[in-house]
Amino acid sequence: MFLTPEIIAIYILDIIFLVFASFAFIISIMIVKKWDINSTSELQYSLEKRAILVATIIKYIFILKLPLFIFFVFTADKISGVITGAMCAAGVVNSISFGLWLFVFKILNLFIFGFWIALHVKDMQDEKLSFTKLKFSIFIVAFVLLVVEIFYEISFFSSLDVDKIVSCCGTLFSVASSSSFSLIFNIPNNVIITTFYLIFALLVFFSFLKKELPFLVINVIFFIVSLLSLILFFGTYIYELPTHHCPYCFLQREYYYVGYLLYITLFIGTFSGISGSILRMLRADYKKIFYKTSLIFNSLYVAIVTAYPIIFYIKNGVWL
Amino acid sequence: MIECKNITKVFNQNKRNEQTALKNINLEIKSGELVVLKGASGSGKSTLLSLIAALSKPTIGEMVVDDKRVSKMPDNFTAMFRRQNIGFIFQKYNLISTLSSYENIILPTIPSNPDEIELDKRVDELLKMFDITSKKESHIKNLSGGEQQRVAIARALINNPKIIIADEPTANLDEKLSLEFIDIIKELKQQKRTIIIATHDPLFFNLDFVDRVIEMKDGQILCS
Amino acid sequence: MNHFLIGFAISSLFRRGAKSFFTIFIFTSLIFLLSSILFISNSIKEELFITLKSLPQITVQKLQAGRHTNIEISKIDKLLKLNGVQSAIPRIWGYYYFEKAGVNFSIVGIDSFDKQYKKSFEAIVKDVDFDELYKNNSMIVGEGVDKVLRENYYQGVFNFIKPDGELKKIKIASTFKSATALESNDIILMPKDLVLEIFGMNKNEVTDIVLEIANPEEIPTIAKKIKNLFPDSKVITNSDLRVSYQNIFDYKSGMFLALFIISAFTFFMIVYDKASGLSSEEKREIGILKALGWKIDDVLKAKFYEAFVVSFISFLVGVMLALFFVYTLQAPLLKDIFIGYSRLKPVFDLPFAFDFQTLFLLFFLTIPIYIAAIIIPSWRVASMNADEVMR
Repeated sequence: MFLTPEIIAIYILDIIFLVFASFAFIISIMIVKKWDINSTSELQYSLEKRAILVATIIKYIFILKLPLFIFFVFTADKISGVITGAMCAAGVVNSISFGLWLFVFKILNLFIFGFWIALHVKDMQDEKLSFTKLKFSIFIVAFVLLVVEIFYEISFFSSLDVDKIVSCCGTLFSVASSSSFSLIFNIPNNVIITTFYLIFALLVFFSFLKKELPFLVINVIFFIVSLLSLILFFGTYIYELPTHHCPYCFLQREYYYVGYLLYITLFIGTFSGISGSILRMLRADYKKIFYKTSLIFNSLYVAIVTAYPIIFYIKNGVWL
Repeated sequence: MIECKNITKVFNQNKRNEQTALKNINLEIKSGELVVLKGASGSGKSTLLSLIAALSKPTIGEMVVDDKRVSKMPDNFTAMFRRQNIGFIFQKYNLISTLSSYENIILPTIPSNPDEIELDKRVDELLKMFDITSKKESHIKNLSGGEQQRVAIARALINNPKIIIADEPTANLDEKLSLEFIDIIKELKQQKRTIIIATHDPLFFNLDFVDRVIEMKDGQILCS
Repeated sequence: MNHFLIGFAISSLFRRGAKSFFTIFIFTSLIFLLSSILFISNSIKEELFITLKSLPQITVQKLQAGRHTNIEISKIDKLLKLNGVQSAIPRIWGYYYFEKAGVNFSIVGIDSFDKQYKKSFEAIVKDVDFDELYKNNSMIVGEGVDKVLRENYYQGVFNFIKPDGELKKIKIASTFKSATALESNDIILMPKDLVLEIFGMNKNEVTDIVLEIANPEEIPTIAKKIKNLFPDSKVITNSDLRVSYQNIFDYKSGMFLALFIISAFTFFMIVYDKASGLSSEEKREIGILKALGWKIDDVLKAKFYEAFVVSFISFLVGVMLALFFVYTLQAPLLKDIFIGYSRLKPVFDLPFAFDFQTLFLLFFLTIPIYIAAIIIPSWRVASMNADEVMR
């Protein structure tokens, strides 16, 4: 058990989120069950008002969750100073068996909450409020995911053990590691790089073609391939070390916090692509601007990661 | 322009203090018409006005204004509808007394984030029209009754609405100011606006430019 | 950004002056208190980490009956034979309680031919003639010590009371100042033989032995070996110290935060109450706005802008005040609570330690709580039936 100010802050916010989300959850169930836009009953009118409360709560949670995600990494990073063997957030996160799951849930929930808000904005522009039932059904699922995340987070911090010696990122993300994760290191560099740029080329292509379904799929694939190529290839150039594959270390000061820039551009790029495509499939009048947003941010991401190996080559005349 | 179809409004439905404010109202008001709603307080005039403005929603029935079913619109749209189509003149003016005339007049435009230059032009126009230019920056609490009345009308007109709704507009005015108000109404009528006035002030009943006087009692229309 | 709406929100705050002022006052105090606590603990941590960096990689002590006792000097040879050990330095040090001032001095023995185990000491003793020091019965003291002695009318000389009750008169040869005040303010350096005499220690014993290790990676392994070699020893590595220090301080600020949570909760309730209890004037105002075409969302937005303005002002003022309080005024009262042992140590200055992470933390501990407190009341107000203005 561990009680740093940072962890207390995260606990407090988790509890606030939990209380408010439970409120929203109860209202959501009522709306999914009783919503009838044509009814003139007082119940329907009060549901319409409560729907606004739920939307406000979800916006509140999402807006805080974005910086909180960065703060979580910060905190894990800081704790790495105390946990024997851990050099960065990776060691801390992996010192707990479900640490990786916590991360997956965090990212997934950010995507879902973000999508929910995009759907909400669209819904509010519709006189019939035709997405309301869908919107609140999605929230019921999102609530369960949020509860799982918060549960994971609280048990994560409470089961951190100062006396346990953990592996640092160097061993976690290496060829020699025996974890299932290390399987990906069997992918040769040229394969992953080719895939990465190929997928990006497809993404550019579909963004000009403006077809929703392929654009959606390609964004999901791009997200995954980007993370893999970052760990396998581009990361080593950021560290200028062929053996260092950690996806967390470059969030630290030594690398000018470039990791945040990378993750944020990648998140905005793929998120706007994915949610925009879904919304446009739901309603044809959704504005096509998301193709541009997605393309700009994804390209920015590609430009940054590409710059690292190129600059390295210019400086040193060799590849790693 | 305004169609009330079979409207019933019940307050506190299924509760012990249930109260039927309007019963089976059917009414049509044409564009450019000036209608006076007449009746004692509690006869349902104000409730009918708030239904027309989509401030509240009918328990039964349908309200159609300007071809829009305002009785079934969500809050976002009713608010926008009010902002664009309806100018309110309340009893006791309902100005915010700690704000200046200018700040009160622009209140209806704030949510649509107006262009400042155009807005200023429009406000100055209205101030000039009602002869209160010198009171632009004065706080409402420092204005006379007549000036407050004119600020309230200026506020109702800022978005250039098609419909003017006035609820007991002369209840707090002396006769001179009431007559002044009637002059303004006449002018608005000439501008082809649809005007609905709820009042029990006899001054309004025999005006030559009033198209219809509708009498209400216990939530029902007596004659029209 | 709708600047009309922001303007309206700000003017609403002004119009409810007393109420807004009350909220801002309480919120500012809360942020001030919290940031002071965090700044102080950051400073002390910073101070300790600088100290720790200069600490030996491995310290070997002897335990007898579970207590720390003096270690035989002969063990040095065996320690030096361990692979990876670069040097082993015997240390003689201890605390001397100066009753009159109620403070503890740390006395450290030094020798001219010994390699100094601390870089900072090396710099201090570089120009000192040890034979002279020993011959003249004199010592070198930290600035804090000098100050305490002066306050008690000791000018250039001090009388130590030996265990047998005799007095030992020692002159002050010079004073020094080092990088971190916490570490060296209470330090007295003098030749080893003098220290042995003052503490009444045996000639073939030392307080502990510090080791220098060539490869830092080997520290845990060597520590294990020493433990096997001398089962009665206590082996402390520098990373052990670092972890335990950070733990203590996180724990201490954790305790304060637990208190903070209680006050934050109270604050939450006050704000909730204030936001819920609307005067009839405010209710009428919201009714007017809605009749004039404001959406529920517009009213909510105005309310949130108000909350942002309040939070921003409180945050700015609270943090500024805390910076002033902690670093300019040196945190009177609060500092003492934090460093429980301050009574036993000469005073020290809080070094300036400020980072964005702390600001981040402060933000998360205050503003979201305030906003959370107003969500439901604001929604209630904003979704009120507007037709009441017509009645």
